[in-house]
Amino acid sequence: MGSVTRTKLMSIMALGAMIGLLLLPILVAIPALASDGGAPAAGVKKEGGDAKVEKGKDVYYKTEGIVSGPPAPKTTDSEKDYPRYNFESRVLLWFANQQHLYYGSFVLAVPIFCMVIEFMGVVTKDKAMAKRYDQLAYDFIKISLTAYSLTAILGGILIFTFLTLYPAFFQYLSGIFRPVMHIYALMFVAESGTLYIYYYGWDKMKEGFLKWIHLSMSVVLNVIGTILMFLANSWIGFMMSPAGVDEQGRYLGNIWHVIHTALWNPLNLHRILGNMAFGGGVVAAYAAYRFLSAKTDEERAHYDWMGYIAMALGVAFLIPLPFAGYWLMREVYAYRQQMGITLMGGLLAWLFIIQATMIGILFLSTNYYLWQALGRMRGAEKYQRYIKYLVFLLTCGYLVFITPHTIVMTPAELKAMGGQQHPVLGNYGVMSAKNGGINVIITTTVLSFVWYMRGNKVSTVSWSKFGNIFMGCFFFFAYLNIIMLAVYGYYIPANVRVGLSVPQVATTLSCLFFMFALNSVMMKGAKQMGPIEWGKISARSQYALIMLATAFTWMMGLMGYIRSSVRLFWHVNEIMRDNSPWAYTHTVGFAANMISANVLFFWISIMFVFWLGALGAKKAPVEAKAAVPGRAAAPAVGH
Amino acid sequence: MKALMSVGALIGVLGLLMLIGMIFGVIPSNTVRLVEGYMPMQVLSELAVFVAGFTGLSYLANSMGVAFPRFWQGVLFWAFIQTYLKFRIYPPIPFSVRAMYGTVSFVAVFMWVSANEEDWKKFRQPILNVLDANTGFHKALRTMYLILLPLLIGGFSFLTMKPSVDEPIELRTVHPAPPASTKVHGKTYTLQTSQNPYRVNLEGKFDQAYSNKLIVEQGMGRLMAPNANPWDDKAEGYLKYVREGGEIFFQNCHFCHGDNLNGRGLHAFAFNPIPANFTDPGTIAQLQETFIFWRVAKGGIGLPNEGFPWASVMPPWEQHLTTDEIWKVILFEYWHTGYYPRTWD
Repeated sequence: MGSVTRTKLMSIMALGAMIGLLLLPILVAIPALASDGGAPAAGVKKEGGDAKVEKGKDVYYKTEGIVSGPPAPKTTDSEKDYPRYNFESRVLLWFANQQHLYYGSFVLAVPIFCMVIEFMGVVTKDKAMAKRYDQLAYDFIKISLTAYSLTAILGGILIFTFLTLYPAFFQYLSGIFRPVMHIYALMFVAESGTLYIYYYGWDKMKEGFLKWIHLSMSVVLNVIGTILMFLANSWIGFMMSPAGVDEQGRYLGNIWHVIHTALWNPLNLHRILGNMAFGGGVVAAYAAYRFLSAKTDEERAHYDWMGYIAMALGVAFLIPLPFAGYWLMREVYAYRQQMGITLMGGLLAWLFIIQATMIGILFLSTNYYLWQALGRMRGAEKYQRYIKYLVFLLTCGYLVFITPHTIVMTPAELKAMGGQQHPVLGNYGVMSAKNGGINVIITTTVLSFVWYMRGNKVSTVSWSKFGNIFMGCFFFFAYLNIIMLAVYGYYIPANVRVGLSVPQVATTLSCLFFMFALNSVMMKGAKQMGPIEWGKISARSQYALIMLATAFTWMMGLMGYIRSSVRLFWHVNEIMRDNSPWAYTHTVGFAANMISANVLFFWISIMFVFWLGALGAKKAPVEAKAAVPGRAAAPAVGH
Repeated sequence: MKALMSVGALIGVLGLLMLIGMIFGVIPSNTVRLVEGYMPMQVLSELAVFVAGFTGLSYLANSMGVAFPRFWQGVLFWAFIQTYLKFRIYPPIPFSVRAMYGTVSFVAVFMWVSANEEDWKKFRQPILNVLDANTGFHKALRTMYLILLPLLIGGFSFLTMKPSVDEPIELRTVHPAPPASTKVHGKTYTLQTSQNPYRVNLEGKFDQAYSNKLIVEQGMGRLMAPNANPWDDKAEGYLKYVREGGEIFFQNCHFCHGDNLNGRGLHAFAFNPIPANFTDPGTIAQLQETFIFWRVAKGGIGLPNEGFPWASVMPPWEQHLTTDEIWKVILFEYWHTGYYPRTWD
């Protein structure tokens, strides 16, 4: 048997093993699911030798089921239920949870990027480009590998924190989710095994059929990762919108009901997109860090390119993220109007203003980066004098988007204003205006991307003049439509107004897809005005990438806090009450400081991870190639 | 191009002169009014006109060879935005919002002046000149900054640390989350599902689409829809209930909420904050009828903890009105303001 055939066989066996690992938890779970999760049948009472079955009604699905678990514990403020240090236990848990989530998101997102980039490398006909894509994917997975062990460590810390500080709650939750938690643990084993084979098999499976096997492994890896996340989401979904239990919190034997709660699906979608955007941001920040500390032009070129790809991927997932968030909030309102109002109009409304501010920063940073990136293209100067108009559009959209409905003010200011609502700015504080604001911001970002894509090119198609005019008109009418619908939203019923977001979003997405497509057709075979000089970009652009990543991190911490604190004084909403001394909502200031502390810790620790990544890097010989017009100068392939 | 820019420049100069004149009282401050109902778009449009005007001015100055330094363009444009927000928009914007706008406009100016390398060099050159201090003038300027900056920071710190006698700022939740259900006159109402029993069509069935057609126009003047006068003797069903609600409103509510429902009633200015302005799109237009029902029935005293500091003196009207009267008065409020109660699809 030749060595190639043997390698092939081994690769297929490895892929088979991965799929086996993926299926293993499901196989293991079948007996547990068949026996209703194996939970003790608390509802079966023996009276005189006759078993009497007690039934309960599902709080969400309204179906009847056999009581199969104990009721939710009624905790008291005591050392037994809430053992503590001389410190707020909730804050310790918050910290452990947030750090685990940061790393977890990162290590789940990066393999998806790797899959996409590796695929691009495999299908690209240009061999030099294929090699660069492959190298980039490898660089990505290498970063995530170190972070992976940290994720596991932080997961362990999180479980210990739960067990030691919230034993009653954790016992209840693990009693209900016992089979899910076992499957989760097995999935984690499967994820680890797959990841290591994927990473260490990179060089062995780099060509031909073996490369496709390797690529298939990344698909398996991502399927496992996604299932892992879905399972973890079921726990938080249950805490927010419990199902599968009766009013006393007794498990009714249907594990699918417990997993598939009202908010599970929107949470899943929102988290996938969020993780991807976050992962893109972190990798872009890594590239920026390496760019700023680079010693050679080749290194700068490589990390400039890496930062651009990571940013583009992150932003690609950032654009649909607000719409996924919209769906989540819609489901929250449908589940409990009270919860929705607490979030969007009540106690936590100001945190949403901060969130809007962060979303705005993300888009502003992206636009700024793209404008800076025009600077590395010869021939893109023609667009630069129009940037100020884009700044104006972005700023107007942003100002409307962040204007609070409930204004922070002194009683004297309140009196001077003559009422709680400002007659001018109050109009910006409601949803209709905000939908307009964010859509203007996103459309402007699309416009910046279009400019970037055609920066150093001049279309040579015969209808280029018509195409340009058409594109200009398309954008003009898109803005007009978005703004007019935002104004019209004030004059119609709320449920119709909510529906107006659909044509607004459709307008924005039309700009995105249609203008990108048209631009690509127009730029096919376009005249190159000059090359893209990778590495010749301002340092400010790299700080914009770092800003982008920091804003992602901060926003993720903020939204996690909002989602968690909307339960107010419940461990499990309306089922298990939080009777610890910390069952109150933190002030906005404290929450903001805590989020900042979490962000700071994450970035310090991930800098350590980056440093480790760089420490183990081998310097490959760098071939300085002449830049091909219209294409990047070959970046260094060292890692 | 030059003609277009000249028009822009002219508009810019006129706008600036007008704004300065209005600030110093040379021109009456209501010369160009912010028109109710159009104000939000008017403000954004005015800013757009100013930007166009300044662009025209800059273009003309460049053409005449007297280019205005980029540094001062940035600084003055930022100062202009602050001036506009402070003096053009009335009533005054609370400091917290002005601070947010100020920061955003600062970032916007930075993005503009540093969008490309050439502009950025131009912008930072005066700063570098002062830091390098190669001329006597710059040296003097640098020395002055050296003295002034610590003084400014010290003064700012002093003012921040100085105990203030002003009332502290409040973050009041205007519309706190309502309870899932509320009990009024012995009957429990689930807020998410309850309906106004008087929002009915001629057949006596709940019909919001029917009542929506009969409310007043929301635009200027708030005119009644044709053949939808509740005070017509022949008015039946929904319109009759609106009339009854109106009578209850004018007997009980208008003293504070005003006869135009804008929160400026006879007693309104005895309170801070003044009573809710129902004509504002941020109040009843954002809420479900059942939310209003709960707030009216329970009053300020019934606000949940989230409503801290409970700055509402509205009486718990369940002690004075029947349940039917509360529903009818709510019906009237929506009819009169031309807003639709919020519904979930």
